Amino acid sequence: MLASQETGLVIVVALVVITLTALAGSHADRVSGTTVNNFLNSNTLIQVATDASFFAIMAIGATIVIISGGIDLSVGSIYALAGVSMALALRALGQASPGTIVVVGLVTCVGVGLLCGLLNGMLVVGLRVHPFIITLGTMWVLRGIAFVATKAESILVPFSLTGVTKASLGLRGGLYPVPMLVMIAVTILGTLYLTRTVMGRHIFAFGGNIEASRFAGLALGRIQLGVFAVSGLTAGLAAFLGASLYGSASSGDAQGYELYVIASAVVGGASLIGGKGSAIGAMLGALLIVLIRQSIRTLHFDQNYEWIVIGCAIIVAVVIDRWSAGVTTRRLSRSAASSTGITT
Amino acid sequence: MRFRLTATALLAVTGVIACGKGAETANDSTKTAATSGAPVAHSDSVLRIAMIAKSSTNPVFLAARTGAEAAAKDLSEKNHMRVEVLWLTPPQEDGQVQAQRIQQAVNDGVDAVLISCSDAGKVTGAINDAVDRGVPVMTFDSDAPQSKRFAYYGVDDNKTGQQTMAELATLMGGKGKVAILAGNQNAPNLQHRVQGAKDEAAKHPGMQIIGVFNHVETAQDASAEVVRVDNAYPDIQGWAFIGGWPLFAQSLLTDQTFTKLKTASVDALPAELAYIDKGVVPVLLAQSVYEWGNIGVRTIFDKVHLKKDVPQTIPMELVRVSKENLGQWAKQLQAWGFTDVDPKYLKM
Repeated sequence: MLASQETGLVIVVALVVITLTALAGSHADRVSGTTVNNFLNSNTLIQVATDASFFAIMAIGATIVIISGGIDLSVGSIYALAGVSMALALRALGQASPGTIVVVGLVTCVGVGLLCGLLNGMLVVGLRVHPFIITLGTMWVLRGIAFVATKAESILVPFSLTGVTKASLGLRGGLYPVPMLVMIAVTILGTLYLTRTVMGRHIFAFGGNIEASRFAGLALGRIQLGVFAVSGLTAGLAAFLGASLYGSASSGDAQGYELYVIASAVVGGASLIGGKGSAIGAMLGALLIVLIRQSIRTLHFDQNYEWIVIGCAIIVAVVIDRWSAGVTTRRLSRSAASSTGITT
Repeated sequence: MRFRLTATALLAVTGVIACGKGAETANDSTKTAATSGAPVAHSDSVLRIAMIAKSSTNPVFLAARTGAEAAAKDLSEKNHMRVEVLWLTPPQEDGQVQAQRIQQAVNDGVDAVLISCSDAGKVTGAINDAVDRGVPVMTFDSDAPQSKRFAYYGVDDNKTGQQTMAELATLMGGKGKVAILAGNQNAPNLQHRVQGAKDEAAKHPGMQIIGVFNHVETAQDASAEVVRVDNAYPDIQGWAFIGGWPLFAQSLLTDQTFTKLKTASVDALPAELAYIDKGVVPVLLAQSVYEWGNIGVRTIFDKVHLKKDVPQTIPMELVRVSKENLGQWAKQLQAWGFTDVDPKYLKM
């Protein structure tokens, strides 16, 4: 069941969809000749979900880090390194069966992502340096490794890999629902992890009150290691989808994506001071940001305003979220005070 | 929930207001592309072309956009129809975003796509999907040769690199230590230019390349890279700029180290003409960047509307700009719609 904040996001996403549908206009479909809405058509909707899927999958991992009170600036670089590692591994593999290619590609991508995440976690825990600094450093280091490894070349991945991500799954040609389905699956897994596992509850406890967690005997280092590992893993998975869908990987991939990912998490309700956030919120946040970008193009507005719009949206979301949290806290205080008969 | 709802509603409102403001105030050619904020249901009398350059912060692509919109206007008037150019260029170079924008354009029902590929590998699949869905694609500046695009218009990049290094070799008397300024390391067209420059340098035994230097493709980043390299290699004697990025700013005009070096560069936009005038960069090899858009739109019109056969490769020749033809080139830039040409060059 959705929490109130996710319900609000769902309503807003729905409102944006309705508004875009109403204002988008229509065109004659090139194949069927029928008139289709410029926004509310299967191609555009799946494309929006596909565009959001890379951010959303990474944002779910990043949200888990944020809930723990940390931050991961290296997700874009992990994405690039995982993608090029997969492409290089598949190039080295040469001719192989489609199944082997997919397995090797997925294992390489997710494995490299996981290793990068573990590296971040170990550095944060071992060096006792703030995650912002550690991941700022690894952001450059990992992209640098990708650059050196590829010599700036954009490496093509085998068609059999592209065929998996571009599988139509029974839909008509030109519709590729796999990234969207993976995004939904990761959202469900992320939700279960955060709300139904002991580790998930520990992450909330750690981010909500680190001192209380320490006194409660939680393994703080293991929690931090775990959250960065998950973040790296989701970045690796997103890289697998991205590289296989678009057919190549390069060291320049996903530059600046860390900001979209953090923005998705924050718009989705994650608190940068920790203790608050959800996988569904991260997914909806990514979807909302991509919808805002899409609206600029669907309504044929000047796309040069895209960064301004997204920037304003993030600031407004965070400011009002903080304001709402303050109001809620005051209400709870008043309620508690009145129930105990204490007046202030 | 109420607060979250308010927050996110404000998000949407902020976006719409900002976009609307953008559309209202845009007095540039976005209005040519879409004559009103709301999309227009198109008929046979409308040809909609999505133009996706590498980066909307690079002036050469803004010139290409001007050329595309001029061609669209001219074709619209001559053929009593509407040719629209939809500018879908990402703010910064990103092959994945370009691929997404091709998909968006096709979903939006455009009639053709004109693209300069940041990463051929990334956009080839999207180009092929677009063609499979009946939307022809043409490339300019940077090609995706393995794709199903019907035509490419641009310079031979290997030859461009060769010409740049050949000009530098002439300036330096065929000997000396030189560096290559190379822009985005992932752009295949620039990689080919670098290779061409290296091949040419190899023909001059006295020329030694100390390095190839990549950078973010803005004037500031490029200028800073040049200064950094000049400081790091005190024995450097010349530069081959395979793109004109640092010359879009004026800082190197007065840089004491740089002005003592010999430089040959690709591109000759208005901001760069002062470098020729002052003799800092005696030779610029101009790409007719305006023609990327102009020829691109006209070729698409021929192919899609007139159903003509067009060549798969349309070569663009570089124009050698020096003090001798500076005035003539300045007038050409002005005729192409550049408003920032220094009047003193127009009087030459």
